[in-house]
Amino acid sequence: MLVAEGLVKRYGETTALTGFDLTVAPGEIVGLIGHNGAGKTTFVEVVAGLVRPDAGRVTVAGLPPGRAARRRLGVAPQDIALYHSATVRQNLRLFGALAGLRGRALSTSIDEVAEALDLTGLLDRAVGVLSGGQQRRTQAATALLHRPAVLLLDEPTAGADPTTRRALLEVVRQRAADGTAICYTTHYLPELEDLGATIAVARNGRVVARGDRDTLLAGLPGEVLVEFRDGPPQRIATTDPAATLADVLATGRTPVAVDIRRPDLDALYAALEVS
Amino acid sequence: MYRFAAVARHNAVLFAREPGPAIGRIVMPLVFVSLLRPLYQAAQGRAAGTTQAVAGTLVLFSLLGMSLVGWAIVTERGWRTLDRLRATPARTIELVAGKAVPVIVLLLAQQAVLIGYAVAVLGLRPANYAMLALAVLGWAVALLGMGSAIGALARSHSELSLVVDTGSVVLGGLAGAMVPLSTMPGWARAAAPASPGYWAMQSISGALDGDTGTALRAIGVLLAIGIAAGAIAAARIARGWRRGHPL
Repeated sequence: MLVAEGLVKRYGETTALTGFDLTVAPGEIVGLIGHNGAGKTTFVEVVAGLVRPDAGRVTVAGLPPGRAARRRLGVAPQDIALYHSATVRQNLRLFGALAGLRGRALSTSIDEVAEALDLTGLLDRAVGVLSGGQQRRTQAATALLHRPAVLLLDEPTAGADPTTRRALLEVVRQRAADGTAICYTTHYLPELEDLGATIAVARNGRVVARGDRDTLLAGLPGEVLVEFRDGPPQRIATTDPAATLADVLATGRTPVAVDIRRPDLDALYAALEVS
Repeated sequence: MYRFAAVARHNAVLFAREPGPAIGRIVMPLVFVSLLRPLYQAAQGRAAGTTQAVAGTLVLFSLLGMSLVGWAIVTERGWRTLDRLRATPARTIELVAGKAVPVIVLLLAQQAVLIGYAVAVLGLRPANYAMLALAVLGWAVALLGMGSAIGALARSHSELSLVVDTGSVVLGGLAGAMVPLSTMPGWARAAAPASPGYWAMQSISGALDGDTGTALRAIGVLLAIGIAAGAIAAARIARGWRRGHPL
């Protein structure tokens, strides 16, 4: 599992993490969301051992940052970090070998991950000639090869096409089902709903809210959209759709269509903007 | 050990997939020394002229060969693979050594091909082959360190090219690689020891002429330069490059 407690990281006068707490249990997917600059990527860098925190502690599978922890960790950074002049297979061989795989185990793992991410036909092509989505899948594959206990996926579907997104989400679901603890940062909120992820909201360098979707959305306004035969439609934000609809009917106008929308994660984002 | 081997093999693959710059750095000195040797022989006599032509060409073009080292590092910074490697279980020494070995082999090959050509075709007769091998190795270590430092500190490929190309000509010229030191003005002779190329010329000429003491002293200086520059590069690379940094 992944445990981070009270992480603080300063860069000059900027404080990127201001007491960042997060735990991810085995088999759990935690979707880490937040605006740009909320501290998500710095948190990933701290866990990956790329950045040393000024305060706080982090453990991966019970181990402090270091080689032993990195053996149990798979990281797919936000930016594509691949050797463009090398083939997909050569990239995977390198990162698989560095993760500790050898010989037949390495070859088998490359074949399995390539199959899962629809990369089999691309294995002998140079990364530099691949599309953005194919590179994104290759990047994710480098993190998955050694079946790590903890997976850090930093915006793994940024700029990805629907095919890439589906393939990645399916692999993430499978790995979680196998017991992998997964921290998944994203701006694509519907993905977290698809994954059934626990959601952690980062803001100003710390996690300000955490819970399942329904808990976090409780009390946030949804929408009632009412269309009339004789006039423009009305869009009404409300936490009590039944009462709102009753108020509309009390005006004497007759709706021809009513659409009640529950609050979604976009509403949560909007609420965070306001607060 | 297998992680070191994996990194070394991968970096050899990267060079092999884009061999143009390496081939150019190996072939150009052969053309250069063939064309210029008659000029040096006319000025300095047959043996001394050949030694000057070979040592000078070797130092000048191996200085330009630093771009292979620096380019590789700047390119990896652009690809963001250095940080990605740091996030793996590999030790820093495994990563550094794995990357250094193919480069050292390349730098040694560049020098070995030129010396082999000079012996086989131009009639060069080194007095001490073992010392020559040491001199070439010491110079390769210095080049690796300096190239790594430039690659780690340069902010772009453009800046790297400027520093390596201009720096190579200045340091090579100051070292006496293009014009014999004895014919240069006093101020240039006084400043020459500040150039790593000067010590390379001293070590290689010493080995070719059989002056063991001069060659050994110069090799010691080259190793010190390589280690110091390598430490600067390692310190910079270990800090990593934050997102949003140039490259």
